[in-house]
Amino acid sequence: MAINKNSNAYIIIYTVVMVVIVGALLAFLATSLKPQQDANVLNEQKVSIMKAFGEADANFDEVVTMGRLVGSEFVAVNTEDKADEQAVFDLLGNRKALAEAEDNLPIFRMRKDDVTKYVLPIVGKGLWGDIWGYVALQQTEDNVVITGIVMDHAGETPGLGAEIATPHVQSKFEGKALYNEAGEFAVRMQKGGAQNEHQVDAITGGTKTCDGVNAMLETSIGKYESFLRAQEVEEFACGDDCCDLDECPADDSAIVEPTNEEE
Amino acid sequence: MKLSKNFTNPLAANNPVIVQILGICSALAVTVKLEPAFVMGLSVIFVTAFSNLIMSLLRNGVPSRIRIIVQLVVIATLVIVVDQVLRAYMYDVSKQLSVYVGLIITNCIVMGRVEAFALGNKPWDSFVDGVANGIGYALILVIVAFFRELFGSGTLFGFDVLARFGYVNNSLMLFPPMALIIVGVIIWIHRSINKDLQEK
Repeated sequence: MAINKNSNAYIIIYTVVMVVIVGALLAFLATSLKPQQDANVLNEQKVSIMKAFGEADANFDEVVTMGRLVGSEFVAVNTEDKADEQAVFDLLGNRKALAEAEDNLPIFRMRKDDVTKYVLPIVGKGLWGDIWGYVALQQTEDNVVITGIVMDHAGETPGLGAEIATPHVQSKFEGKALYNEAGEFAVRMQKGGAQNEHQVDAITGGTKTCDGVNAMLETSIGKYESFLRAQEVEEFACGDDCCDLDECPADDSAIVEPTNEEE
Repeated sequence: MKLSKNFTNPLAANNPVIVQILGICSALAVTVKLEPAFVMGLSVIFVTAFSNLIMSLLRNGVPSRIRIIVQLVVIATLVIVVDQVLRAYMYDVSKQLSVYVGLIITNCIVMGRVEAFALGNKPWDSFVDGVANGIGYALILVIVAFFRELFGSGTLFGFDVLARFGYVNNSLMLFPPMALIIVGVIIWIHRSINKDLQEK
């Protein structure tokens, strides 16, 4: 018996069988590759954070303490608890949730040669879509200084706004102090060229993206301001007899201790 | 004899990129560096080869009225397989290739070979035809990427080549128009050798 290959019944059955087979195949493939793909995304986040620290070759898991900002205190994440650790990275990956978060903000700390640096995630809007990244900060005697920044974007204009993702632009932020003499947040990409030591040159033709970067820095770092100012007190305002970083016990529990006492 | 001609024809005399002028879009986009161009070439070889093979196996059962839809489903499935595998095992390269892996679906070479060859030929011949056309495409990509990376970044596969001689990178090479010019030069050289391709 010959089958009529142009009959509606044949075509419908053919289509259904084909779609079921292909659907099952792709579902199986996607499920089996998911763990590896997630691991890649996680690794990329860790590499970005290490780049912001300026230690691109160091192993994240060995040198960085992950934490959350509760109130204005650094609370270390227990890395034994993989689910809790993953929750921090999930938040970093979810830019909308990260932008709206007000408490339990992710923060990363690294100590090296008696220098403590913090990396904060930053997230905002460029001209065409999201922009995001990580900024590394270090406390100085009377200010907070950017030691490194990495930024990426979803769809800024190539050659103009997209330049924020290049090391050339990012390196200009290094060494910029966050607050001016009046105590206001002063780091920004300035159209027409930097006017003072807090500003960096904006990108010609990328003004809207640079405005987005300015808003991103001010909003995202602003959420951590109370913490950053508390650090100032902890590290430098205390006398000889108070806990110096060198003498501090290395465990994480001691870090949150003296923050508010000096106020 | 016929099989070897099937294989060699798409490499030069009937190359899909420089003779049929297909797949130009991705040839311009992913040839800034050799590595992504190479991976893109391998991906297209995989897709053309297996879409040809599968469609050739199915060719007697496919209802002719939904022929194009079936081809698209097969091609799209293979492209998703490539995309997912790259994301899992070659994450950096897959980020550089971004949307262009997904756009293999719309690459005219793939559907062109299925429609023109696989539907009328035996599976093994179709498979060879697919591999050969994929290689023809990959070959042009790698040649273009070689010149663009060498003169644009001074490197090959990421290794310093020209920088040590004090070469200053020509960033013009990194822009898409330069790929078009290089493709044009390849076509020029190719036609001056194969005079039968020249239009009167």
